[in-house]
Amino acid sequence: MSTPELSRRAFLQGSVIAGIGISFAPLGSKAFAALFEDKVTAMPQPWYDASGKAVARIDGVSKACGAKVFARDIRAKDMPGWPQQQGHALLLKATRTEQLYQGFDLSLLSAELQPDRVVTASDLAKDGIAFPDGHHLDPLLPEGQVPMFIGHPVALLIWKDFERYRQAKNILKFNDKVIRYGATAPAFQSDPYGSFRFVRVGGTTPFDRDTFSSLKDSMLFPLIHNRKPAWGEGKVSGDLTEQGLYHAEQMQQQLQSPPDDWLVFDERFKTQSIEPCALEADNGNGWFDAATGTLHFVVATQCPFEVAEQTAHMLAPSRFGVQKLNMHPGYTVGYGSKDNNIFVFYAALAAIYGGGMPVRLANDRYEQFQSGIKRHPFDMHYQLAVNKQDHSFQIFRAHMDVDGGGRANYSSSVAAVGATAAQSIYYLPRSDLAATAYYSRGVEAGSMRGYGTLQTMAATEMMVDEVAERLSIDAIELRKKNVFQSGMKNTQGAIPAGALRLDEILDKAAQHEIWKNRVARKQRFDAEDPDNLYGVGFAICQKDFGTGSEAPMASLEFTADGRVSLRHIAIDMGTGMATSQALLVADYLGQPADEIKTGETEWAELALTTSGNPYIISQAEQDAALRNPRWVGKLASPSSATNSSYYSGHATREAARVLFIHGLWPAAMAIWSRGLHGGLANPYVVRRENAHWIDGKLTADGMPPISFKQLAHKAHELGLVTGVSVHGFNRWSWAEGDFEINGQRERVPLDALAVKYGDGAEAAKKAQMSRNGFHLLDRVSINYPVTQLNNAMVTYYSPVATLVEIKVNKGSGEARVINHHSWLECGRVIVEELVLGQLEGGIAMGIGHALLEDMPLYEGGPGDGTWNFNRYQLPRAKDCAVWTQTAEILPPLSPSDPAKGIAEVVMIPVVGAIVNAVAHATGKRLRDLPLTPARIKEALHG
Amino acid sequence: MAKRILSMIINSQAVGPVEVPDDLMMIDFLHEHLNLTGSRLGCGQGVCHACVAILDKADGTSEEVRTCITGVHFFDGKRVRTIEGHAKRDAQGEVSELNPIQQKFVDKFAFQCSYCTPGYVNAATVLVEKLQRQPVKRSELEGEIEDALGKHICRCTGYVRYYSAARDVVESLGLVKEG
Amino acid sequence: MRAFVLAALLPLTAFAADEQLIERGKYLARAADCVACHSIEGGAEYAGGLPLESPFGTIYGTNITPDKEHGIGNYSADDFYRAVAEGERRDGSNLYPAMPYTSYHLLKREDSDAIYAYLMSLEPIAKPSPQTDLSFPFNLRFGLSFWNMLYKDSVQLQPAEGKSEPWQRGQYLVEVLGHCGECHTPRNVLGALQQDERLQGAVILGYEAPSLLADDLAARGWNPEDLATFLKYGISAQGSMFNEMYPVFHHSTQYLPFDDHQAMSTYLLGDQPPEPRKVASVALDQLGASAQQGRQHYLNTCAGCHGAAGEGIPHVAVAMEGNTTLRLNDARNLLRVIDDGIKEQQFTGFERMQPMPGFSDKLDDGQVRDLLHYLRQTWGGQAAELSPQQVSQLRSEKGH
Repeated sequence: MSTPELSRRAFLQGSVIAGIGISFAPLGSKAFAALFEDKVTAMPQPWYDASGKAVARIDGVSKACGAKVFARDIRAKDMPGWPQQQGHALLLKATRTEQLYQGFDLSLLSAELQPDRVVTASDLAKDGIAFPDGHHLDPLLPEGQVPMFIGHPVALLIWKDFERYRQAKNILKFNDKVIRYGATAPAFQSDPYGSFRFVRVGGTTPFDRDTFSSLKDSMLFPLIHNRKPAWGEGKVSGDLTEQGLYHAEQMQQQLQSPPDDWLVFDERFKTQSIEPCALEADNGNGWFDAATGTLHFVVATQCPFEVAEQTAHMLAPSRFGVQKLNMHPGYTVGYGSKDNNIFVFYAALAAIYGGGMPVRLANDRYEQFQSGIKRHPFDMHYQLAVNKQDHSFQIFRAHMDVDGGGRANYSSSVAAVGATAAQSIYYLPRSDLAATAYYSRGVEAGSMRGYGTLQTMAATEMMVDEVAERLSIDAIELRKKNVFQSGMKNTQGAIPAGALRLDEILDKAAQHEIWKNRVARKQRFDAEDPDNLYGVGFAICQKDFGTGSEAPMASLEFTADGRVSLRHIAIDMGTGMATSQALLVADYLGQPADEIKTGETEWAELALTTSGNPYIISQAEQDAALRNPRWVGKLASPSSATNSSYYSGHATREAARVLFIHGLWPAAMAIWSRGLHGGLANPYVVRRENAHWIDGKLTADGMPPISFKQLAHKAHELGLVTGVSVHGFNRWSWAEGDFEINGQRERVPLDALAVKYGDGAEAAKKAQMSRNGFHLLDRVSINYPVTQLNNAMVTYYSPVATLVEIKVNKGSGEARVINHHSWLECGRVIVEELVLGQLEGGIAMGIGHALLEDMPLYEGGPGDGTWNFNRYQLPRAKDCAVWTQTAEILPPLSPSDPAKGIAEVVMIPVVGAIVNAVAHATGKRLRDLPLTPARIKEALHG
Repeated sequence: MAKRILSMIINSQAVGPVEVPDDLMMIDFLHEHLNLTGSRLGCGQGVCHACVAILDKADGTSEEVRTCITGVHFFDGKRVRTIEGHAKRDAQGEVSELNPIQQKFVDKFAFQCSYCTPGYVNAATVLVEKLQRQPVKRSELEGEIEDALGKHICRCTGYVRYYSAARDVVESLGLVKEG
Repeated sequence: MRAFVLAALLPLTAFAADEQLIERGKYLARAADCVACHSIEGGAEYAGGLPLESPFGTIYGTNITPDKEHGIGNYSADDFYRAVAEGERRDGSNLYPAMPYTSYHLLKREDSDAIYAYLMSLEPIAKPSPQTDLSFPFNLRFGLSFWNMLYKDSVQLQPAEGKSEPWQRGQYLVEVLGHCGECHTPRNVLGALQQDERLQGAVILGYEAPSLLADDLAARGWNPEDLATFLKYGISAQGSMFNEMYPVFHHSTQYLPFDDHQAMSTYLLGDQPPEPRKVASVALDQLGASAQQGRQHYLNTCAGCHGAAGEGIPHVAVAMEGNTTLRLNDARNLLRVIDDGIKEQQFTGFERMQPMPGFSDKLDDGQVRDLLHYLRQTWGGQAAELSPQQVSQLRSEKGH
């Protein structure tokens, strides 16, 4: 049985983890600004207009000026209180996995250039450094072992000054004489990181009860035998696993001997090794002040909370006497590569071993290619049975092998998520999906935009297109006949959230001039341009947002003079969440937040605790744990999995809602009810649900509008709720807690809540604000999503479709995108430019994935430390139809639509569309990505 | 390694004379000696163009130079502008006015993470200055922008808003002529 | 009568789909690098359109796909052979010797037939090629008949006795199919190859196609193994192919089997290859004054990619240490590449080099002169200095 996630034991009472006090001052925050001048989000110009629409990103000016926004921009002299001298470090790595590592030889360096400190595996052992779970296998390779993977770090080298570091690095770089290798030895081996199977047999209709499914019954896990999954025999009345296998065997038999009126598609799709190529490479800069036992740590990460917690755990048992950790997360960029990344721990160690000097560990691009998180190949065997009469899909069987690289990281989860996304937008009456993530000697693989769904759904769209061709039916018509409708069940047997508007998008696509006229257009363009072949392709996908274990946190408060500040756990990695979250506050406060601190992880007021792994905890364990009013299923989400608009937004909006209900509304009623017999409010029926913010002022049922500033002042005067910190938990639905808030009992979709009362509150009330200035409330009761929901794997979806026009050059085989149009449905749009920006950027990344990006998996690949952008081809503007591309966002069903996440799904349909367009252009179906000129040429010329 | 003395003007301020290793790349000088970290290291090998600074030549023209592969001593006696020098600042050092390109990039949501933004600002600034000397025909405008920005890599945005913002700036500054 | 007609028809029908013949023809077409002149970048292969600059004007490579209107769809195998080996078009007019029939005249008939079969198996591309229209008197094709009388057969094979099988095969690949002499042999004022100086080097469009004589190759650091590697991959320890050699790799040599590269290498270096000359790098303080100045220009504009110690960067930039261009007696190529740079180049598999910038506007004549001296003296074993006039003269002879 595999354990895909990390287990956590952490206590955040008083911000102490494993005995180490933690405080956070994100680089852009006011707390940081109090240290010295720069502010990332204090805008010298207004970023929203009178109607509350964002006219710029809240971080726009700083970013346009190249200000020190990234952790990578920071040097010791930028940090108040740090020693001025900046040290620099690098990691030596072993690249030959067939030979024993026998140490390293720095004699190439003169005496002057020798490092000032060297850290190896034996130092870590001697000093009691315990790398966190999941990253703990030989973080530095001990001598006498084979490397686990190509590029396995063996030592950390530290220099006190830049110049000697620079010169030494120039000599050591690309030099294969530095690492000493001994005898050939058996390669490192490991069991697969994870193996999963999802079987479903639906009922008579998609809405009837399932015969068998993951959610209703069970996911299937194999035994591992000889490092491969070994499935037992199916038994129709055996245990749940045996039942599932029985149904799977039935399906397999039918696919092998199908009835005459079935078409069975049976092909293999393969993807390539890809690299996120975030332009800010992994980096950290830290100073360990031994006198006070304080580690100050500037770091680039998508999961600052996890980094703090795990760094504390790593250092607590050591001899260094770390008492306090001051984290400074920067604005960053990652596309997944800075989530759950071992790099940060090496950076923390560089500081610890710095001998009292700040040390910076920052990858250059060669090093980033060598160790940065990748996504390795998916090898997918797809079988789809289709009824030839009515074109309905009958059985979908997809079995895939996922190369998981040299460390486990998230590959097992990626495999599972990929498998459960393969159904894309189709209803499948029966399905058998299996995925295994294997260890390999490739570079570490983990989270990267798409998270497996890019690989599987693009293949599904290629498959459906080819099936349509074999059935001689329009490819969009075939999709319409099998489209997933609201209320149907997915391949795990779960019902997706809300309205699915896939058929709307298909209808629009079918009517698009380029699709309708593609045959005639091809004839014309091919005749006019004999050097090229023209083609049109379409694809549509829906992807989940969220991980099934989301834990957003937000804190919102306003001063008596109406200044609103928002603290949020999330990190802005370019998504613009700092802007959108600040804007969301206006839903309930009538105006956006004046300032926002992202990457905030100081939540002492909530005193949260957790235990176990939310993905595998049993229902009984969860029930028992929930008796502790401080216990939550997960402490904090990283910024990943497209979770900012919906999940981060949930915390922000719920916090704002609490302030409205318990602060602003009673203040408004107090103002309107002033005077004899309930004042001017009395004659009317005034209801909270009729409240509206019009031009920044609150009115309801004919009451005179009051400005937010006036309300804020009144709320403070009356000692109402003027600040709140909230935590939520989502396992495909929200945990709900009952809280007594300022005397009023209320059920909210939150599992932890702390409030602040206004300046005018009585002493007794103020005395309750004992946790970091907050009054921590106990849950009166709590209703948590059942653990069985883990088997749903996904319920929140956003769809995107892309129509693409390409030309394939007969001479070179190169496929070029000449134009594309996309449709996107995301419920409520918070800031349209940010949504469209994600689409534009995601499509570019998808074009790279389909046509350009590739690396060898093992030898000759990036693990040897010589890769850069000359060999790894990134899409440029000329590859993306930059001037002509178009897109439309479907209008929401109503103003109360949730804001759905789209940052990953935007990348996927274009990949399938391009492959389908190449098929239209050339008449050839290619199934291995990327479609390089060499591959297309070979297909064309045989 | 040997050291040599150099002087240059960066963002209109004199730098040096100062002794600097003869093989130091300009980007390292900017980052580690002057703490001007806005010219960012993307690939360090001259491909991505995130690191470009503007070289103001004696003949009055300007061009972008990749600081990651150009030695610092190349700039000895020369005038350079980095991203940090474009915005106007008040006495406290706070930004009081962005240059037209920066302002347009902000107004048009042209960037996301912004790691590559300084390079784009510099490339677009060089383009605008070129067109100020010689306006471009409308029919050639997109081509000019492609030439100016085409080598810059951005991984977040898909380039769309950088390009359309550049076009907007050029048009709004009146640098487009008939044809 | 009927037998005569049938016999006349036979050459056309005898070449119906013979897979093996077509395969062989595909290989030979690669070796002869037809596609380099008969395609344009961005164009379908063999569909013509490439402008070839000659001292007499621009000559266009023609469409040789089997299109009946725009290509060679009406050609018989005899017609084809006459065109390739004799320089005579189907209508009887002369081809300009930009079509290297002066080398191809030694093409074996059966090889011509195989290439013909291959070309006729391709998809016809209905693309007209631009008409070659040289200025008077060069537009008078019949004038070539006289020229042909003098020069058509000038390329001759050397005697094969005592030579190994690879040497002989290599000769055919180099002198005939590869037609290397068409660039690497100097021409007289009438544009004819000076066969008495065969393979001793020539200047084409500003760049030197250097001497391929065995001793000269060895002086520039070539050994048989590396030369074969160079032909196969476009890159070896001695540097990378650039300018006009890159298309040779790109269209031709990368597709040949490795024993062909070894054969070509054996032919050029001989069955008893000379010892490659070793050049030890010279320390800075041993260089001339100008070269010492050049060191700083090297650090400023070159070292970012080529390394402060000339070590290069694997897969990114060639090393100066051991580089063959630095060893050329004539500094022309080194100057040209510094001034012009090199376009982005895709080599085999994942190998790809980003563009090398050109420095014509970044280094003045004096600086370039210093830099040339630094490079050639430090790593090239070329101690002699160039005069400022030589440098400015070379700079003005721009490449294309």
